[in-house]
Amino acid sequence: MEDGEVDEIRARLEAFIGKPMGPPAVAPDPVNTPMIRHWVDALDDRNPVYLDEEFAATSRFGGIVAPPAMLQAWTMPRPVIEGIAERGGAPGEIDFDNPIPILDEAGYVGILATNSELEFVRYLRPGDHLQLSTLVESISNLKTTSLGKGYFLTWVTTYTTGGGEVVGRQLFRIFKFDPTTIGAAS
Amino acid sequence: MTSGQPDSPRSTEIAVGDELPRFELPVTSTVIVAGAIASRDFMPAHHDAEFAKAQGAPDMFMNILTTNGYVARFITDWAGPEAMVRSIAIRLGAPAIPGQPLRFTGQVTRTSVEGDECVIEVAVRAANDLGDHATGSVVVSLPLG
Repeated sequence: MEDGEVDEIRARLEAFIGKPMGPPAVAPDPVNTPMIRHWVDALDDRNPVYLDEEFAATSRFGGIVAPPAMLQAWTMPRPVIEGIAERGGAPGEIDFDNPIPILDEAGYVGILATNSELEFVRYLRPGDHLQLSTLVESISNLKTTSLGKGYFLTWVTTYTTGGGEVVGRQLFRIFKFDPTTIGAAS
Repeated sequence: MTSGQPDSPRSTEIAVGDELPRFELPVTSTVIVAGAIASRDFMPAHHDAEFAKAQGAPDMFMNILTTNGYVARFITDWAGPEAMVRSIAIRLGAPAIPGQPLRFTGQVTRTSVEGDECVIEVAVRAANDLGDHATGSVVVSLPLG
């Protein structure tokens, strides 16, 4: 890759920093016991505060709470199953401006999640209705790793309830890379 | 292990250097798919081995929500139902694939008192034979006592 090309891509990516990564989203459903039960069964997590109302009432939580790691699950976009493989796994059509197509078109088609940092301001209860907004926090310069050359993209999601109370945050970082450059010297 | 009631440490008994009881998760296709669907993640890499291989992975692999869920479970199985997980920060590495058990280990790295709470930081690792799947730290708080 020529230095001129590197500058051009990174310069185009600059415009996304600090900008929203997609529109604000509202969870399809409020926090609810059936979904908590589904998760608890799938992960065999028998913590009684998630499903045992009598136990939870006498605990510090005062009632049923959702497993904290479900924070992201409530707002996962509803999938359109038809064509999901053809869309590369995206739950639906992505029609908002974002850095991924620029990187895909330039050959950085590989994608690898590298970091997740979840912060739970409070535990969620049945009835909490989540919203989220996501910003692009940073984009690295071109880096070389064992997978090849690419860019680290970091975005930060803020989770709120309808009343505007911040209930959680997530930092998420991915490496978008050119798989043909694997083994390239730095 | 039952969600830790009689075996859970009281906050006053927790010290830097304490090792959490080790946990080995037998990872199967069912474990991976159950977690993906329960977290509402329909990305085919988490239920379709051929799709995952076409993307360069060795097999279908666990999604991050499920990884975070098991990390949280690992912590609360030890700390007990009064524990409140405050944060989970992980670096992701080797994929968690069927047939590769995930071994969870943890060590207390920091304790502090904040108001009525004992705040505990635990370094965690989930590894299989491919390497470290997830490493990082969890902050959890317990009522003092």
